[in-house]
Amino acid sequence: MVSLIITFKKKILLLQDYTLMLRDLFLSIRFVNKCRSDIFNEMYLVGSQAFLLVLLGGVFMGIILALETGHQLDQFGAKTLVGRTVALGMVRELGPTITGLLMAARAGAKNASELGAMQISEQIDALRAFGTSPILKLVMPRTIAAMVMFLPLTAIADMSGILSGMIVTKLSLHVDTSFFWHSIVSSLMMKDIFVGFIKPILFAYFIATISCFYGFQTRGGTSALGKNTINAVVVSSLIVLVLDFIFTKVVWELL
Amino acid sequence: MIRLENVSLSFGEKVILDNTSLSIKKGEIAIILGPSGAGKSSMLKIMIGLWQPDSGSVYIDNKDISKLSELDMLPIRRNMGIVFQGNALFDSLSVEENVAYFLKEHGGIKESLIKEKVSEILSFINLDGTEKICVDQLSGGMKKRVAIARALSFDPDIIFYDEPTTGLDPINSKSILDLIKRVSEQGATSIVVTHILNDAISIGDTLSVINEGHLVETGTVHHMLRSENKFVKGFFYEVYQDAALLKIKFYKQ
Repeated sequence: MVSLIITFKKKILLLQDYTLMLRDLFLSIRFVNKCRSDIFNEMYLVGSQAFLLVLLGGVFMGIILALETGHQLDQFGAKTLVGRTVALGMVRELGPTITGLLMAARAGAKNASELGAMQISEQIDALRAFGTSPILKLVMPRTIAAMVMFLPLTAIADMSGILSGMIVTKLSLHVDTSFFWHSIVSSLMMKDIFVGFIKPILFAYFIATISCFYGFQTRGGTSALGKNTINAVVVSSLIVLVLDFIFTKVVWELL
Repeated sequence: MIRLENVSLSFGEKVILDNTSLSIKKGEIAIILGPSGAGKSSMLKIMIGLWQPDSGSVYIDNKDISKLSELDMLPIRRNMGIVFQGNALFDSLSVEENVAYFLKEHGGIKESLIKEKVSEILSFINLDGTEKICVDQLSGGMKKRVAIARALSFDPDIIFYDEPTTGLDPINSKSILDLIKRVSEQGATSIVVTHILNDAISIGDTLSVINEGHLVETGTVHHMLRSENKFVKGFFYEVYQDAALLKIKFYKQ
């Protein structure tokens, strides 16, 4: 019982430290101009280098979605609705979520391990000691770059999923592409696209800040670095799923 | 110039510093000496403002920094240079980039002036010609020199050295100690944390011995060598022993 209370207390303290980091990040926004070059550098690392991963993720999600729903709809003679299912599924849910999960693994692990290694080798202390804010230098560029780059990456995942779904539907279910596109255009609404593109911005914010936070929390040696990198990826991935649920359930019903 | 007043720090049950006071004058080489785990590095981190004490005050030029926020500390820290125990160099960057890093970071200085400044500092620490070498290709002694060069980049008034000779061979240790002396001769106040008594005696103007979070005694080398304090006497016994051994070896030869 005592150990349970101690663990709970530690988690609360961790949450408090995370909140304080977010406060510092918010207060540092006025100096954002100072880290312009770092932001562009991170945008390249987060965005262009993750292009292939997200593209492949989208392609395979689209194929699976088209095949699974296509076969089910075919039983009711409604396979012409595959386009609609694939498009709605990709734009509203799978596109942002798959991008979020892939980026939680890729960008999350990168941030936590980089910052963790810097923490262990006293480089973060050196930044602070020489009058450079680690929040401004390390967290701000990673957060802004992720928030900017997750949008095109989600669009790529959505598009590649829909296109691969279309090809599979044509080849496997013999549905004409014009039917496929027509069902997409008639079913997709602006609010689908709006929700589909708000999600990645929030996912990016939490993935970047959580992974940086775990990097800062690294103390000790390489085992702590490994443990904190795992924690960063696990917590970021869970947050992506929880936020996705909140959006689907609450925000979608409000709109 | 630097004053610690009744500073206490603890992590959970473990007391690191217990009501410790210390004063360091401008321009001197102040040595903080003590065995491993005595609280020396913690004291240094409190002086730099990296850690905040649980109670007590830390004054730098009569300004209490112990309660300043991270943002308020930034301009004060730009007047300090710090040489970390593990050097804390950015290992993917070259020597030149490491030394110029914070000059570029804080902006307002022309690229040509930065280049000039870096080459002047590298020349001062006898590392000319190493500008383009990546720091992870350097030896331990050279890395320490680069760390000192980086600390000097802003012409700071105060330089902190955390165990500057730990892990170095005697020749490199000697050259680092000489460098600390030369830097001090330029007018900067130097605070050196070390557990190596010979280093402390060879460069220190004042020595402050701490043990288990308490300041045991402070004074000049001469004063310390004559101290009646039991702990200080025990700690300094090593020097007498080394000197005696050297004497015996010398006479045998």
